[in-house]
Amino acid sequence: MLKRLIVDGAYAISTSKRYAKIKHFFYNFLENDSNKYKKIFDLFMIALIFSSVAILIREVKSHVDDSLLFFNNYIISIIFLIEYLLRFWVTSSVSEIIIKHSEYDVMLKREFSLLKAFREIIAIKMRYVFSIKAIIDLFAILPFFHELRLLRLFVLFRVFKLFRYAKSIQTFGSVIATKKFEFLTLFIFASIVIFVSSVLIYVMEANNPTSPVNTLFEAIYWAVVTISTVGYGDIAPVTEEGRIVAMFVIVAGIAVFSFTTSLIVTAFTEKLDEIKDDKLINDIAKMKSFYLICGYEGISKEVAKKLSHNSDIIVLEENDKKARQAKKDGFFALNYDPGSIDSYRKLRINIQDQVKAILCLGHSDVENVYTALTVRSFNKDVYILSILKNKMNKNKLMFAGVNEVFYEKELVGMIAKGLAGQKIAFEAIHALRSSYNGVDMQEIVINERIAGNYRSVGKLQSKKFRILLLGLHKSDSKEFLFNPKDDTTVEAGDYLLLIGNIQFIKEFNSFLYKKDGR
Amino acid sequence: MRKSTALLFGYNDYTLEIVKNISLYYENIEIFRLDESSDKNIQNSKYKISRFDLSDDWDELKDSVNIDECTAFCVLEDTAENIFLTISLREAFEELTIVALAEDKESADKLSLAGASKVIPTIQTTANMIVEMLEKPIITQVLHNILYEKSDLKIAQIRVDNAHKFEGVYPYDIDWGAEYNVLVLSVLREDLETEFIYSSKAKHHQIKEGDVFVVVGYEKDLGEFERIMGSRYD
Repeated sequence: MLKRLIVDGAYAISTSKRYAKIKHFFYNFLENDSNKYKKIFDLFMIALIFSSVAILIREVKSHVDDSLLFFNNYIISIIFLIEYLLRFWVTSSVSEIIIKHSEYDVMLKREFSLLKAFREIIAIKMRYVFSIKAIIDLFAILPFFHELRLLRLFVLFRVFKLFRYAKSIQTFGSVIATKKFEFLTLFIFASIVIFVSSVLIYVMEANNPTSPVNTLFEAIYWAVVTISTVGYGDIAPVTEEGRIVAMFVIVAGIAVFSFTTSLIVTAFTEKLDEIKDDKLINDIAKMKSFYLICGYEGISKEVAKKLSHNSDIIVLEENDKKARQAKKDGFFALNYDPGSIDSYRKLRINIQDQVKAILCLGHSDVENVYTALTVRSFNKDVYILSILKNKMNKNKLMFAGVNEVFYEKELVGMIAKGLAGQKIAFEAIHALRSSYNGVDMQEIVINERIAGNYRSVGKLQSKKFRILLLGLHKSDSKEFLFNPKDDTTVEAGDYLLLIGNIQFIKEFNSFLYKKDGR
Repeated sequence: MRKSTALLFGYNDYTLEIVKNISLYYENIEIFRLDESSDKNIQNSKYKISRFDLSDDWDELKDSVNIDECTAFCVLEDTAENIFLTISLREAFEELTIVALAEDKESADKLSLAGASKVIPTIQTTANMIVEMLEKPIITQVLHNILYEKSDLKIAQIRVDNAHKFEGVYPYDIDWGAEYNVLVLSVLREDLETEFIYSSKAKHHQIKEGDVFVVVGYEKDLGEFERIMGSRYD
């Protein structure tokens, strides 16, 4: 009966959308770096930690107001306790473990063992409780029991909580962790040197009445101070034998010091690219919209350069050298394979909302077909544009889901046609396209506000701004009205196609937002 | 402005695309290939294909065509060879119109120095088109349709042959759209400078005999406009 109730309860929790939503919210709030509230929460917790330490320091020699002590001992501790419990809750799912065990037992046609499920739940929860971060969290709550004087010192554990909130400290920790074995070797070497030298110095000096080394602790203290190359000088060997030991420790100290430095530097150098990529991925996750350019050479370099004037762009390039070049050219570039789903997963972006278009500008059609298919395998709607190298492959690219194909050779043919047919007209359009002499062609979308201010083309008074209104693109009928008559209605969603001096177009644009031009 | 012969140097995909697009505008198209490759395709070609080499002194060419009526397209895939070909043609024919393909800006500059009349930098051109299509999709589509005659709208260059009708008038003063249902984009003055209709230079330029207007409009309106201007449009 009890088992049935527990399993039913687990299913109820597991299928509850409301419960999942709440748990997901707290998980993001506490653990997801890209969550916008997490940064605020982290800053709030850091502020609490520093205020707690400040109160502790002040308390050493001065009287601290009771309300401040109450804030430190109870309010902060309770906030930390709530945080600890929330982390304990979101770290794993009890209901899922129960369901998993229940289904497993049903499948094997045996009775559901509640004990086994509880054992796993306890093991998983205990794994969390005994993790370093959770232990620090727990110690940070202990000042709550401030009546026990010793426990007050646990306020200092709150400082260690900074590891959790400050990303740079976490990064430093992860870098050092990569050299765990080397640091362990170094630690063992230093420990042996300290142990041997402290025993030697004790044996050599302890019976000498003029020597400051009288106890084994003083000998160890001297060895640690010497090997670390600090050398206070408060304890120094006086016998010849002792000084020989000192020389040995000094040389070992230099080795330990240089080895430590080189280890840290190497660890950072090795992880530098990864750290930079991590930062880049976090920055990308915060971007509202951008173009994703796959490949970086020839055309894509030019496209990236031109698009970056008005939009954000991200470059994905498999080749390390080219990815470095893209970074050097000042673009957000990642050395990821654009043809691998894993690359997009690592990016942690919402393709539908954040990506304006994916541009397959790789050096071969094979590569571009592969990239387009990869993207289409997880997103059906994002706009994909690709260049075509060999005309024979056009259908393959379209089949792979590319929305627009650009064939360089066809463009050249069309330009040749323009030059052969109407050279002056072609050059004039070309000059306008290249914003030559400050004259540009622009499209302005009519929004509700503009449509409210000006209901017909005549009221726009484009001629007053010395710009040509080439036409009006109607959004509902998808029709282009060339040289529209003054009484043509202007509606929200329509586009005005204008030619004129860039500055005048800007002025005209701001005029459109003012009612009756005021 | 029409030339009678197009001379295409190089036989590759660019050549095929160019030939496809310009065949209507030239009475005669001659292709010159540098190597022996692509013989299979050559056999099926409807145009005359001859061989040339970079050390040619072009005597045969001088005898076979009227060089003043020709446009040369240098489309060799090797940039250095294309530059050499351009310089060689310019040295032999001072007045020849040479259109040359360049991969990038650097080669484009070198081709201009070598004497090409018009250089098409392929990478820049494709990149420009891609960016325009992404950033200004509607205007790009409209212009594309106008330029490549995929809509009823056309672009034309119309010469002013009866300027007396517009004596003392500036192009800027006339509401072309309202009066003739055409839009005058720019004016090519006698000094061969093209100016946007609303630019300050065009503002101070009275309409004169021989000016060329770049005009957008429907075919019927362009015909009427051409009649008013006293010339033919093409």
